[in-house]
Amino acid sequence: MTELMIEAHDVSKKFGDVNALDGVSVTARKGSVLGLLGHNGAGKTTLVNLLTTMLPPSSGTAKVAGFDVVKQAHDVRSRIGLTGQFAAVDEQLSGHDNLVLIARLLGASRAQAHQRADDLLEQFDLTDAARRNAKTYSGGMRRRLDLAASLVGNPEVLFLDEPTTGLDPASRLAMWEIVEKLVADGTTVLLTTQYLDEADRLADSITVLSHGKVVASGTSAELKAQVGQRTVTVTLDSASEVDLALKAINGVGLTPVAEGLTLTTPVSGSRDLATVVRALDDNGLEAHEIGLKEPTLDDVYLTLAAN
Amino acid sequence: MATLTWHGSSYPTQVLVLTGRSLRALLRTPALVFFSVLQPLIMLTLFSQIFGSITSTANFPPGMSYINFLLPAILVNTAMQSSLASGIGLVQDMSNGVLARFRSLPIRPSTVLLARNLSDAVRTGFQLVLMIAFGVLVFGFRPDGGVLGTLAALGLALVVGWALSWVFIAIAAWVRKAELMQTVGFLAMFPLMFASSAFVPVNGLPGWLQAIAKINPLTYAVDAARSLALAHPVTGVAGALVTSGVIAAIGAFFAVRGFRRPLSL
Repeated sequence: MTELMIEAHDVSKKFGDVNALDGVSVTARKGSVLGLLGHNGAGKTTLVNLLTTMLPPSSGTAKVAGFDVVKQAHDVRSRIGLTGQFAAVDEQLSGHDNLVLIARLLGASRAQAHQRADDLLEQFDLTDAARRNAKTYSGGMRRRLDLAASLVGNPEVLFLDEPTTGLDPASRLAMWEIVEKLVADGTTVLLTTQYLDEADRLADSITVLSHGKVVASGTSAELKAQVGQRTVTVTLDSASEVDLALKAINGVGLTPVAEGLTLTTPVSGSRDLATVVRALDDNGLEAHEIGLKEPTLDDVYLTLAAN
Repeated sequence: MATLTWHGSSYPTQVLVLTGRSLRALLRTPALVFFSVLQPLIMLTLFSQIFGSITSTANFPPGMSYINFLLPAILVNTAMQSSLASGIGLVQDMSNGVLARFRSLPIRPSTVLLARNLSDAVRTGFQLVLMIAFGVLVFGFRPDGGVLGTLAALGLALVVGWALSWVFIAIAAWVRKAELMQTVGFLAMFPLMFASSAFVPVNGLPGWLQAIAKINPLTYAVDAARSLALAHPVTGVAGALVTSGVIAAIGAFFAVRGFRRPLSL
């Protein structure tokens, strides 16, 4: 059985009367990416704070890298990296000094710390800015420095709390590539995001949180299958064909809906695509465009998070 | 990639590295160093000029120059102001973001506070040495206690400031608002400063102020520093040291407790 690097079992966190987390369970295998999807206030950051030992849970237990986040917090902290929503770098220090500081605190010798800092600065394309105060860095540079800082100790589990919020598209893409590379090297990642495409691209499994509860979990494909409906869309060349096509598809037991020149038919699988094509063909119709449309994570998210 | 197994450093290393970090940050912000020195210098200059004529009054110890009377008080005062800055520094650290990262590292939270306290003691020491240098070179500070007595006064001021720094660090760890601390700190210190033996002899004050000055701990700290620098019969030094120790211990206790609370709340 593959090693579980993140195990949260029925954890809850109350702030006064508010249940920020209410009986949440999640797991992540070694070398996988767990995506936490949810809107603001869904409990994503609270869960990250619990798993990174920053907050104790009100009830429930959690282990990270095999260590209990409450009883073995020190062991957990020495095996994780955290990149939060706001760059946690020392603005008064240079990029280089920031990384040296972390390495020294983790127990590296002076020489090792400088070496590690230089390596990471190069890896994150910050060598030119290495000696400048972090205060002068752009948003994207700060995020890269922040991520570099969380990687100084080669963490086994990396927590990324909305790592690309507020980044321009190019920086976002760069961040994704970095994460993919880390995962390829065996790092386990927990990623929170509000961006569906981000979860879709990076996460092996996705947990959707809403009001502190897990409302769905599974792979991206499973979630889509669970909630979203596949459809076959047919676009015709002329309005005169619309009624004929509706009748034809109805004739094979499906229920198309027309909008302009486009017919949308809910289907259960790709086999139905062939059925629709055949129905049109049998009636002498030729579609201008035809295709099977998978539901997007937007559909999943909107359906689940709305409840 | 090399497999590195750094799972945390020793307590002294943490304190040392974090103290170095604060000092380095200070050095990289020369404007801050400049103003932290400028403020007490202005005080030294203004007070030595404005209150200089007080030496001719009946209550003033005969034969003493005002600068000799004033400088030990300035040392204690500067250390006190600096201790407030220490608390504000911690609040700024907390909003800097880097403290959030420290919390996810395998380090003890108390090392962050200890480092703040130590690096501020270094900064205060620097300020005090500069005050003395100015006093000697510009204003003719020639205390009877000589170099040793002056250094002893500096040491005492440093201990008082160090103890108060724990108090302000504790307040910072609970209050976490820089503006509020600045305002309240100033409001608390301003009257303390004047209702004491710092600038004029206590028996030259009006009766009601005398009453306050006599229970004002600052009076005792200033008197102790003065007695060291001026080679008077040493009074209250042991008392000041013990009181400082107690204040520091209480401050540190509450500081650690307050600091342990989550940052985001």
